Formats: sequence, C-alpha cells, structure tokens
Amino acid sequence: MKKIPQAIEEKLLEYLDGTLTPNEATQLEEQLAHQAELKARLESLKAVHGMFRTMKPEHPSKNFTQAVMGKLDQYPLRATLSIRNGMFLLIGVLVAALLSAFLVSSGVFDSASTVIDLNAVKTPVDIIKEPLPSFRFDGKLVVNVIVVLNLVLAWLLLDRAILKPYFKQRMMTGH
Amino acid sequence: MTNDPDIPAIDRVLAGDQQAYASLVDKHKSYAFTIAYKVLQIRADAEEAAQDAFIKAFHHLAGFNRQSKFSTWLYRIVFNTAISAKRRNRHQFQDIETTILEYDQAAEGGLEKSDRKKYLLQGMAKLSEADRTALSLFYLEEFSLEEIAEITGTQANTVKVRIHRARLRLADELKTLLNHEALML
Repeated sequence: MKKIPQAIEEKLLEYLDGTLTPNEATQLEEQLAHQAELKARLESLKAVHGMFRTMKPEHPSKNFTQAVMGKLDQYPLRATLSIRNGMFLLIGVLVAALLSAFLVSSGVFDSASTVIDLNAVKTPVDIIKEPLPSFRFDGKLVVNVIVVLNLVLAWLLLDRAILKPYFKQRMMTGH
Repeated sequence: MTNDPDIPAIDRVLAGDQQAYASLVDKHKSYAFTIAYKVLQIRADAEEAAQDAFIKAFHHLAGFNRQSKFSTWLYRIVFNTAISAKRRNRHQFQDIETTILEYDQAAEGGLEKSDRKKYLLQGMAKLSEADRTALSLFYLEEFSLEEIAEITGTQANTVKVRIHRARLRLADELKTLLNHEALML
C-alpha cells in the first residue's frame, strides 16, 4: 500500500477542521475523487474526528467543591526557608566545605591522629579482666567525611531550597 | 487580562471572602477534572489531583499575574499537578486492560459501547499524557491552540503538531484494530 505523504495528511486534517482555503479544499476534493487510498484515509480520520466532536467534559463527584473548600485550610504552610535564605545557607555550606578541603590539602590535619587505648582508662574498681581493644582516630579522615557530607548537604539545599521553590513559583505565576 | 469574567470573584477571594472561591471551583471543576483525568486515566486519582490543584491555586492566588485568563492559569496548575501525580504513581503497574476498563466505565458511563469507540479509546490510552491532553482540549473547543500551549507548557506550534500526530496515530490504530477484528470474524 502506498504511503500518503505527510503534507497531504496534514491537508486532510485541516480539511476536517475546516481551516483550508476554498481553493485548497477544492484541490483536495479533486484528489480525493481520483485516489481511493486518500479517500480511505480521510474516512478513517473522519471516524476519529467524528468521535471526538461528540466528546464532552468529564464530571467529578458531586461533593467535589465541598471537598476542596473543606481542605483549603489544610494546605501545608509555606516553607520558612525562602529562596534567598536558601542561597545564603548554600553559600555558607560551600564555603565551609571549601575551607575544610583547603585545610586538609595544606596538611593541617596530618598530625591530628591518635590511638585511643581503652586499657588506659582507669576505673575505680577493677571490674574488667580482659584486655580492651584500642582504636585509631584519624582527624584527616573525619574532616574528609565532613567535607563530603557538606557537599551532599549543598546539593540537597540547591534542589530543595532553591531550584524546586523557584520552578514552583514560576509555575504559579504563569511565566 | 481585563475582560476575564473570573476577576471579580478572584478579587473577592483576595479581599478575604473565602466562600467566593467556591463559585470558581464550581465553574471550572469539570474542565479541571477532565484535564487531570486525561493525564491520569483513573477517576479517583484525577479527582484528587484536581482538588489538590484547586487548593494550590487558592494559596497562590495573589501570585496570579492576570496576564492570561484565570482558567488557563488554573488548568496549567491542574496539568502540572496531574503530571507530578502520574510520576509518583508510575511504579504502580497498570496494564492496558485496566486502562480500557476505566475508560469504558467512566467516559462512556456504560451507555454507549460501540466497538469503534472502544478501540479509539484504547488507542488514546497509548498516547502520551501531553498528546492526549492536547487532543482532548482541542476537541472540547473551549481552548485556542495558544491556551492549550500555555496549559501544557509548550509552544503553540508544538501543540498543533501533537494534535495532528495524535489524530493520525489514532486513525492508524483504529484501522489496525478493525482489520484485526475483520480477520477474526
């Protein structure tokens, strides 16, 4: 079966919508009289068109308005964090993360490591008989973890406190 | 827009008359519900989304800039709310059979069940939310292409293409299904 060119299909739709000029409509009608495939395509489009022409809006439940009016006051309160405050907070978090990263890379925390020996803890009564384990505390690692957590926090702030409220605001004001 | 008939009611709401909003809800609930229903395809979800949209619109009414009609602004909120609800519910699997049943029960009300119409609705369920909404709004004849574009957050040309494409696809679907049915006889 020969495929009908897209431009002709567009014309068929415009013909159904009544948006063709009288000249274009006559031209198309001539084509329709000689091309069975084109006529068949028009018929199938007409079936779709005819069905939609009778379409009516859907109706919600009878208590719809009442339900909306009853829920008007239940709307969540506005977030206390404005976009402006969110940006300040984001800048603060980023500055803290960058500063920490700079201090780590300059070696400030290189010597901040120690071993915590639980056996060194003196208890008033000697109740622990077995030797206790000792832990290594690495200050550099802790700061690195804090930097990563700060970056995650910054990402969340950007999304929740700045981008989402911004796009929501845009949607509501219709821009 | 100065000739928007909803402006007096909006002004009353903004002046503190909350009950004036009921008249706006009453006036626009059918189209709001229709838009939500075309996106979500489940009546209960559509009702919830439409209600949420009215509540959001109420709380952001002061931000309505009156450049467009209130209805267009409201229906855009409805469309976006329904799209968000659809994304939230996407993990809930709904097969095509359920979709058709929803359409049959609700859209047709059990009164008219011609096969052709059923197949057409089946084809429509396969369209994207935006295509389905654009097509429905176009045929409800209340909206210009520009208004549909504003509601669905696209360009008027894109809406025109969507409507044309959806109709061609539906015609194809109908033909395929009817041919298949003829073969089964």
